Amino acid sequence: MTLLPPSPPPASALRDALLADREQALTRLYRRAFPLVRRYVGSHGGTAQDAQDIFHDAMVILYEQAVGGTLVLTSSAGTYLVGIARNLWHHEQRRRARLPEQSLSDAFEPLASEDSEAVTEPAIAVLDYVERLGKKCKDVLLSFYYFQQPLTQIAESNGYASVRSATVQKFKCLERLRSSVRAAWRSETLEL
Amino acid sequence: MRPELERLRLIEQQLLNGPAALPAEDWRLRQLLDGELAADAAAQQQLYHGLRRAGRRQLGQELRQIHARLYGSWWARLRRCWPL
Repeated sequence: MTLLPPSPPPASALRDALLADREQALTRLYRRAFPLVRRYVGSHGGTAQDAQDIFHDAMVILYEQAVGGTLVLTSSAGTYLVGIARNLWHHEQRRRARLPEQSLSDAFEPLASEDSEAVTEPAIAVLDYVERLGKKCKDVLLSFYYFQQPLTQIAESNGYASVRSATVQKFKCLERLRSSVRAAWRSETLEL
Repeated sequence: MRPELERLRLIEQQLLNGPAALPAEDWRLRQLLDGELAADAAAQQQLYHGLRRAGRRQLGQELRQIHARLYGSWWARLRRCWPL
């Protein structure tokens, strides 16, 4: 009898796929799960745009759980994604009943996974400064801190000779971001 | 690395619980010896929160592009024939 090597748990396989080729892995999930979410939201009082917004929020939650190592899959990733989307849609329907004037995008800005963190004004202001960093710095910082790509991959895709060069560049970019945010806060404080 | 970058790295290890993070006692001692460390760490934490939001925004853009590529044309045709 030959023993097959154990297949990797689905959550780590998904994580590997997302880190190796995000666009391809997301597209595959999208193709599989979005039609089910669209049908569900459509048959529960939502529009096509609602379905898209809810699905994107569900994908963001799945992505963060997968690369953050907190995802536990007991079914396929597509089924899990549909489950998140259904919960989000129920939550959104209840919210609309309470606050009918507020739009979906406003309501979902702080995603469920950010519940434990206070989203502060300075963090929101940092967003603008990230955009002003220039493409290379922005790519390096987001790849590392948000998309959680390993530094070896960041070094390779950004043309750095080594992990050490990529590490130094990452901290230089972080320093630039901190300096511009600090300067802005300082000038705001002086104006007050 | 320059000392300024080393300082960013030190704080990062602590905030993100990296492999070189100091034990809690040592970190508290550092904060006592370095009056600006706590404020610098708080500012760096804000950068990480901001980067997370920027990352979500970028992921959202990527998802909209995927949507447009997969459903853009036929979805637009369908909506023209059957407005929702």
